[in-house]
Amino acid sequence: MIEFHRVSKAYKGVKALDEVSFSVRPGGITGFLGPNGAGKSTALRVLTGLCRPTSGSATVLGRAYAELDRPGYDVGTLLDAGAHHPGRTGREVLTLGALLLGLPKKRVDEVLELVGLTVREGRRTVGGYSLGMRQRLGIGHALLGRPQALILDEPANGLDPQGIQWMRGLLRDLADAGCAVLLSSHLLHEVEQVADHIVMIGCGRVLAQGSVAELARGRSLEQTFLDLTSDADRSRA
Amino acid sequence: MTAHRIAFRRLLVAETRKLFDTRSSMIMTGILVVLALALIIGRGVTMSEPPKLFTLAGTAAIPFGILLPVLGILTVTGEWSHRTALTTFALEPRRARVLAAKCLPPLGAAVVSCLFALLIAVPVTAVTAAARGVEATWSISPQSLMGWVAVMALTTAQGLAMGLLLLNAPAAIVIFMAGPPLWGFVRQLGTAGETLADWLDVNTTTNPLMDGDWNWVAFARLATSVAVWVAIPLALGALRVTRKDIG
Repeated sequence: MIEFHRVSKAYKGVKALDEVSFSVRPGGITGFLGPNGAGKSTALRVLTGLCRPTSGSATVLGRAYAELDRPGYDVGTLLDAGAHHPGRTGREVLTLGALLLGLPKKRVDEVLELVGLTVREGRRTVGGYSLGMRQRLGIGHALLGRPQALILDEPANGLDPQGIQWMRGLLRDLADAGCAVLLSSHLLHEVEQVADHIVMIGCGRVLAQGSVAELARGRSLEQTFLDLTSDADRSRA
Repeated sequence: MTAHRIAFRRLLVAETRKLFDTRSSMIMTGILVVLALALIIGRGVTMSEPPKLFTLAGTAAIPFGILLPVLGILTVTGEWSHRTALTTFALEPRRARVLAAKCLPPLGAAVVSCLFALLIAVPVTAVTAAARGVEATWSISPQSLMGWVAVMALTTAQGLAMGLLLLNAPAAIVIFMAGPPLWGFVRQLGTAGETLADWLDVNTTTNPLMDGDWNWVAFARLATSVAVWVAIPLALGALRVTRKDIG
């Protein structure tokens, strides 16, 4: 459902992504794991048509994202929880999205409830939200159009333990209903607990991918992750 | 499948809504209304000659000429100041459509503001004339009314163009504000400076729109200044936004 095909991206000669290839199937959660600066956000921005790859291609539902007619219905995206106008209320952020997608006002209330924001919190401006509340709002925005694919960049950042548990449950339910979920994180334990499939990235390259059991190879997943990322750092240096 | 695209009307509704849905935009609208009211009433009270409807309405041009372009600048730069471009362009990847939908509401606001000023000026004219026992002048030539609205829309478009080119609100506002004093200075620089200003200073090239004093040179001057301050920056800015990496 989501495909990266040998995607490379260079900024002024520096390779942020180097021949990244992997795919995300419907009905599962893929964790996109890597240290800070590994290229996770760049990859997700290429996928959503916000950045142009230097070479290669990324597709969602078999098409380049920018060629989807109404991407908000097909793909839900949360690329940066901080990217909201601080003077707009949470409810207004969702209302603007619903307006664009032609969804009824009722959907805004449903989504607020789904992500656990109260009516009062919805009426407050985003400037006063905690990072966890912004993540909930961003996830809600992504879910407005009931998409078949979800792309979430570091959605667990700033969530408290209850919030993380809530998100795990929500994503599991969506995946069980057939949604393809791709979420990035630099927090290994977070990804380990929620993902069926893991893609490890370091210095712009896919270092390993497979199920949690496959990647751990009898050791801890953490050890595999640290070995791979330090190898990638060394080869770059 | 094209039938399922986000209709342009929806983009337009959402972008218009963004003009009024934050505290800062509400304050801006409030200031616009209050200043227009205050200046028109103030002028009515202090005017020594018998009141003229169009002169009173035109008083609002001073705050409008500053605030409408700033509104335009804030509208097109807002997605970058608050990094909401990520969300906006993820919902509608055809960025040119979003930009078009963003530019129209401030232009509409310019037209509405002119009509609003005219609407306030009517009772002020009537009251002032009655209070002084003089005859008011109600007639407005359609040409100067259209010219006035066109100048306001053009000034707003100038703000939009500068904002879109720079994608940085403070820089765009400074450049916009620096225009009039700078042209005043250029005019002091002998005939070359004066010729330059005659062709490029929008504040003078738009005069024929107001007084109807048209000839080919006047038209060429207007076209040149509009190309330099509106059309070219708008085109370059739009090209940049449609191609650049967001995020």
